[in-house]
Amino acid sequence: MLVLLTKRLARSMMRSKVRLTAVVGMVTVAVFAGVSFASYAYTVSGMYDKIYEDSDQGVNLPDVWVENPSGTWDGQTSDSLCEEISNNWANSNLVMNECEPRLRLDGTMFHAVTSDGVKEEKLIPAVWHGIDEGLVDRVWIPENECCSGRIATGDDEIVIDVRVASGMEISMGDSITIAAGSGRMNFTVVGIGLHSNHLYYTYGDSLFPAESGTFATGYLSSEGLERLANLSGGSSNLLLIDVLGTPDYDLPSTDEEEGAQLTAIVDNIDDIVSQTVDSTTFVYDRSQVFSVEMLRADAEGAMMFYTPITGMIAAIAGITIFLSLQRLVQSQAREIAILRTLGIPRGKIMPAYFLMPLFIGSLGSIIGAFLGVLLGSPGMLDFYEEILGIPILESTDLAPLVIQIVGITMIVVLLSGVIPAIQAARLQPLEVLRGQHEIRISSRRIQEITSSLPATVGLTIRSSIRKPTRLAFTFIAVGLSMLLFGSTILMMGTIEELTVEKIEEDQNWDLQSSVYPGGEEEVIEWVEQKDGDYEIIIDFPANPVNDSRVILVKGMDTLSTDNEAFIVLDLKEGSMPIKDAPTTQILIDQGIKHFLGWDTGDIQTLVFGSSLIEVEVVGITQGEISRTAYLHRSDLAQVVGVEATAVLIDLPEGQSVDSNLGDVSLGVVEKEDLVSSYESIMEQQQSFLGAILFLGILIAIVVLFNTLIINLSERDTEIATLRVLGAPMNRLGWMMFGEHLAIGLIGGSLAFFFTLAGTQAMISSFIQWSFFMTVSADPEVAILLIGIVAFISVVLTPYGMWRIKKMDLVEKVKDLSQ
Amino acid sequence: MALVSINGLERHYKMASETVRALDGVDIEILEGERIILLGPSGSGKTTLLNCLSALDSPTSGSYSFSGINVPKDDSESMTSFRRENIGYVFQFFNLLQDLTVLENILLIQELAGGRDEDRARNLLALVGLEKEVDRFPAEISGGQQQRVAIARSLAKRPRLLLGDELTGNLDSKTSSTVMEVLVRACESEGITCVFVTHDESLVEFATRVVRIDSGKIISDENAR
Repeated sequence: MLVLLTKRLARSMMRSKVRLTAVVGMVTVAVFAGVSFASYAYTVSGMYDKIYEDSDQGVNLPDVWVENPSGTWDGQTSDSLCEEISNNWANSNLVMNECEPRLRLDGTMFHAVTSDGVKEEKLIPAVWHGIDEGLVDRVWIPENECCSGRIATGDDEIVIDVRVASGMEISMGDSITIAAGSGRMNFTVVGIGLHSNHLYYTYGDSLFPAESGTFATGYLSSEGLERLANLSGGSSNLLLIDVLGTPDYDLPSTDEEEGAQLTAIVDNIDDIVSQTVDSTTFVYDRSQVFSVEMLRADAEGAMMFYTPITGMIAAIAGITIFLSLQRLVQSQAREIAILRTLGIPRGKIMPAYFLMPLFIGSLGSIIGAFLGVLLGSPGMLDFYEEILGIPILESTDLAPLVIQIVGITMIVVLLSGVIPAIQAARLQPLEVLRGQHEIRISSRRIQEITSSLPATVGLTIRSSIRKPTRLAFTFIAVGLSMLLFGSTILMMGTIEELTVEKIEEDQNWDLQSSVYPGGEEEVIEWVEQKDGDYEIIIDFPANPVNDSRVILVKGMDTLSTDNEAFIVLDLKEGSMPIKDAPTTQILIDQGIKHFLGWDTGDIQTLVFGSSLIEVEVVGITQGEISRTAYLHRSDLAQVVGVEATAVLIDLPEGQSVDSNLGDVSLGVVEKEDLVSSYESIMEQQQSFLGAILFLGILIAIVVLFNTLIINLSERDTEIATLRVLGAPMNRLGWMMFGEHLAIGLIGGSLAFFFTLAGTQAMISSFIQWSFFMTVSADPEVAILLIGIVAFISVVLTPYGMWRIKKMDLVEKVKDLSQ
Repeated sequence: MALVSINGLERHYKMASETVRALDGVDIEILEGERIILLGPSGSGKTTLLNCLSALDSPTSGSYSFSGINVPKDDSESMTSFRRENIGYVFQFFNLLQDLTVLENILLIQELAGGRDEDRARNLLALVGLEKEVDRFPAEISGGQQQRVAIARSLAKRPRLLLGDELTGNLDSKTSSTVMEVLVRACESEGITCVFVTHDESLVEFATRVVRIDSGKIISDENAR
């Protein structure tokens, strides 16, 4: 009997092949996406740990960094700092292993490019590391086709980053010309590798990886960098401190204090350094190293999201299966009733309704797992390597992940068969045979509300909401499928606004030249020769009291929301700071307000190395991804003792950057390179994002199509009656159009609210100190989402009309008489 | 002039390897105001004849004119239009729309036919004795009452010919009589011609003419009284 029932059910399902294919497809996509994302999450998480570990293969990432942002220490000072830190090490379970001074400088790489047949020299902003290959933070040259050579030992040798080698077509043995504010020199490439500070390869704290040829990093010997920068031997501006083992540190993405012991060590070192040297210093752990934190957050995000994404798509498939099975139970009610009348027990009827989701889930899971393992996982990892340029040496074992994902999917899909199975088993044979099981008294409340409307409109509204459970499930499924689409649109829009648009519209400079203290004069002279405009700025790191998180403080001569300003501020609330106020006035960005709770009118303390300064928050700005505060340059100069760290330059038409500027600058950034980096990365991601958008719409179409077809088929009797009674096609068409439009508009509105809530939840789960953004209810996105869902819904009207048109009224009348 | 004039009407169906002659040369004229009962065993062709009369089905051959005009065939929309303008139809299982109240079921047909007339709808419900049930849903009234609503609905757009297929087949004999009395009263009051298909010989008392059909042919045609 079970076999017969199952056969019957299977044949019914097979009759709707499109629907069956669609739900199998959805399960396939759920498993495929889950395997692909999980493989990515586990591979990269394990990989970073291996890169950073203290072993022969790892680089031994430091645990504490001591940074001098405003100059360098000589060899004696750095040695004495290390000694003081070692001697006064806090009473802790954590044991100091190494203290290694390092030199890291901003600089320029001079790269010859041919543009329109003309050979010219391009200035590329760079960061140079001077590394006495010690025990901490080594250059990573893995045994992989990406990398080759050895570390730099001679003072004319350099190891260049993999992304520099591939982006600028530089090979081993090539000679490159670089500078660090004291003239240019040639170095020979002896190695191609990577460094922990630049695994995530960005210029500054940019959210996106730098485009090829717009940023360079190189790893020289310490003597080599001292020679390049004309510094005395032993100079350094970093102390890398390694603790035995790998201590826990405080994760910026959580409210818990995971690394209390290390935080105590950081605070203690901060005290020691402040007492030992006068210069401004920053002491921090790995959570404040941008590349380390970005990659950790990315892996954490992937780890956090692959289960919900799998579950979400499986849930949409489950809802579609549930609605289809429910309809099957309804259409097979008479057969079930006859079987029950003949004495077949409930227990024999139920299993068939579990077998269907089991079959759909198994088939979809097998296809999805194969596609995930063979295409998705390698595709994701290739995409990662292409975007980030970090070689993947070993991918994770996929078997346990596939089992986990298929398990989640099968549970969700099997649950979809439970209610239809119970409904089938609970059918009352007498009621069904009398035809009473489908008779429901319509809602009196809805009738009252719509009673003043024409009967055709009333019928349209009432039949739209006749099955509220089905409608609610449909809306949930459409909402979830459009969440994929909508959140991608909202995120893309927000990120584009914060990157490309922010730079194009709010940054009115062509070049930014970084300078040593006092070096701005030569840059200004260069600008004046070019008849350009300029503004001197100070970019200086600070942090709140008892908090190692870094705020970039920008001192500018012009703090303005005026579109003509070199940097246009987007003031969300409050007012502009007044120069030389008794308490220094500052603007803080929205992210600082979010994380620190600072607000307009507050008096707070900022720490610039060892100097503490009271500031009054007079306004909040928005649009900054990293934490930023603004104040008048003269106010900041008094605190940090530096008049300039960079010069913003606006060149007249026809003038361009030349090597003379490179010779007098620490580094030169061209605005068009920044814009092109952002545009390039967004372009690279287009196909990936496009696939997500397409998938979201496709799933929404399937879900809506399924429900509307069920609605239509349930109304065959009604429509046949109306046709027999002479209802014209166009009137029925308008009724159907109205119903579909109503469902589309409501579904679209709900989809937008789902999207907004989902995107906000997603953003709030991954925003952290180093990157903050908000998403708002963009009316354009709302209209787009509602429009798409309404359009999908409405375009199914012609199908419904065609279905009515091909209806055999003679046969229908026979049905009506039976 | 006859309201309906049918000559040599045939309707054949292809069933597997054989052709079934559901109607095999039917000739009949129906005058205005007549109430005809079509009687015959299962498979005799009475429902097929009703389908052809209502332009739900197109005859294979023969002619069918209504008020002297040929009835459209093989074109769904013009056949629908003919039904809308001329035919009322009452089903065995009432087929009222469950989401609409009794009154709205009638208003809907008026709206679809192009003219809402609430007074007429209420009058028709009074005519079938349901003036107190106008705001109830079909599921809230009895089968006999539902069939009376269906009759009122079929009269709503003032058809010239009312067709009923086993319209009391789902009712007990007492309710059947009540429904038929209501129907006769309504048709007389509206001047509507009626043709009913039934197995039930007892309904002959409500007809003015009884036509018997078997194997697709009319075998007798006589006045009821």
